[in-house]
Amino acid sequence: MSGSRIGTMLGRELRIGPRSPLVLWAFVLPVVMTLLIRGVFGGLFAPEPRLGIVDEGDSVLTDRARELDGISVSVYEASDDLMARVEANDLDAGLVLPADFDATVTTGAPADLEFFVGGESLASNRIILAVTTLDLIRGIEGIAPPAEVEIVQLGEETPDLTTRLLPLIVMYAVAVAGAFVPAAGLVEEKERRTLDALLVSPASMNEVLTSKGALGVILSLATAFVALTINGAWSNAPVVMVLGVLLGGVMMAEIGLMLGSWARDANTMFTAFKGGGILIFFPVIIYMFPDLPQWIGRIGPSFYFLNPIFDAVAGNAGLGDVWGELVIGLAIVLALVPVVAMMGRRLEHTLATRTG
Amino acid sequence: MPDAAIVAEDLRFAYGDRLAVDGVSFAVARGEIFGFLGPNGAGKSTTIKMLTGQLDPDSGEVAVLGMRLPGDEAAIQGRIGVCFEEKNLYLNMSANENLRFFARLFGINGLDTRPLLERVGLADRGDERVNGYSKGMQQRLMIARTLLNEPDVLFLDEPTAGLDPVSARAIRAIIQEEAARGAAVFLTTHDMMEADQLSDRVGFINEGKLLVIDTPENLKLEHGRRQVRVRQRKNGEIEDLVIPLDDSGAGDQLRSIVGEPGVMTIHTEEATLEDIFVEFAGRGLDA
Repeated sequence: MSGSRIGTMLGRELRIGPRSPLVLWAFVLPVVMTLLIRGVFGGLFAPEPRLGIVDEGDSVLTDRARELDGISVSVYEASDDLMARVEANDLDAGLVLPADFDATVTTGAPADLEFFVGGESLASNRIILAVTTLDLIRGIEGIAPPAEVEIVQLGEETPDLTTRLLPLIVMYAVAVAGAFVPAAGLVEEKERRTLDALLVSPASMNEVLTSKGALGVILSLATAFVALTINGAWSNAPVVMVLGVLLGGVMMAEIGLMLGSWARDANTMFTAFKGGGILIFFPVIIYMFPDLPQWIGRIGPSFYFLNPIFDAVAGNAGLGDVWGELVIGLAIVLALVPVVAMMGRRLEHTLATRTG
Repeated sequence: MPDAAIVAEDLRFAYGDRLAVDGVSFAVARGEIFGFLGPNGAGKSTTIKMLTGQLDPDSGEVAVLGMRLPGDEAAIQGRIGVCFEEKNLYLNMSANENLRFFARLFGINGLDTRPLLERVGLADRGDERVNGYSKGMQQRLMIARTLLNEPDVLFLDEPTAGLDPVSARAIRAIIQEEAARGAAVFLTTHDMMEADQLSDRVGFINEGKLLVIDTPENLKLEHGRRQVRVRQRKNGEIEDLVIPLDDSGAGDQLRSIVGEPGVMTIHTEEATLEDIFVEFAGRGLDA
């Protein structure tokens, strides 16, 4: 095996990649899926409530509002500017805090507060911002609320639907870039017979397969990172996520190389990918439908890179929580190496003995 | 053959029950052009695949440049050039990109493609993508790719098939230049004139068996008819007269005919390679 020849073949793939509709599709697909899922199930078109504040007296309310999760807070100098932005729907609501606001509230005297709402703002956002503002004022006042609301969770806590659909997006990104691109590349080289030309040069079949597999891994890493980023899914455990994506990229590249070695033409490959794709995709259903028995996901090899990513995103799992699954995934990847090599030898023999 | 670039001894290969190559033995010297002739399915391509390390023979021995196959594939493939019958270039890359890519696989960095492209008449088209090339241009680029590592052995499978006469002539000239440089050339072709014109020796293969190996000249002398056919007009009618050259009076007869006013044409009845192939194989090359 020559690293130089592998690099040469990989370099060619990367250079001509942008000329390939398939590579472009691999990059576009996760973005389209994200937009589609977020558009259908919310998130993308339901931005967090936006509150604008004009603070004339350095109120603690402004600082406390900024510390809140799930609310976007902006501070303005002049109330005219604030009102213009609310009216233009750049903000859902605006608040003007007078210079003596904190002192007035602390003494228990009634304070004047102007709360502007935009005519086009969502009713839900107005309510959230109004209630939040009242809570913050009560905090400054220092008086206990008239009733304590006890929040009781019924049923197991599950991540929201957009989070549960994240494995599907990641799977698509990794499978199309990692498996489909190398498989299609290999089949194309067979059909155009450029593979014959490579194999009578000093390049060996193992070097050809390694370069195509490396392309799949690189593309799957890139597309998965794009998918995770546009979904805002980077967790506190980036190492787990990078390892999960890397494992997934290698596993999918191996599957793609096996598929490309086996398929005699593009039609066969497409049919096999469509028909057999369920075998690698099915673990994503346990995230989409949490009521299903979760053990069935473990049957699919892709579970062992998807689940660490999902646990890191949805449950803030660290490396110590998911290392077992990553090790099983690594074992699957290592077990597939001789299978890929064997299929490569079989392909070499098929090429040499084909006629016409 | 002491200076053999290619040695094949008793090569056999079967596709299942069908014996494609059956006990083929030959040697090709450095600087020699060896024409390997036979109809479709005769075993030519299978033989080339065994000689280039693509296919392991079921039995027999192959040595190329003194190295054994199977075993020394990588070393051998670094010193040979193979031109396939079917075009197999990267169509979405330019000629320069194709050549530089393959050159790097041979360990040649920074290849100056211009001399190669000039040699095949494509110097001004090097930056164009190959999918815009005509068939002839693609074939010439295939030849350029075959030559980029200055190979010691060239395997050319139907290098001029389907080409216009100008391109075919250019490629034939390159083949002769390569042989003159010292490269052994293993050439398969359907074009008997081409084989006759280029080959130092030819081998006929049919149904996997090598029927004969010799120089075209010897084959034609041994298997042609030594006679002259004279066409002449006599009493308003055209007549053919055949004069066997081995007859004792043949010289006198020819001299007297040449002086006659009605002689239209005089041809030797030398056999063509195709005639000789039919004689050996009992079938034509296009069968």
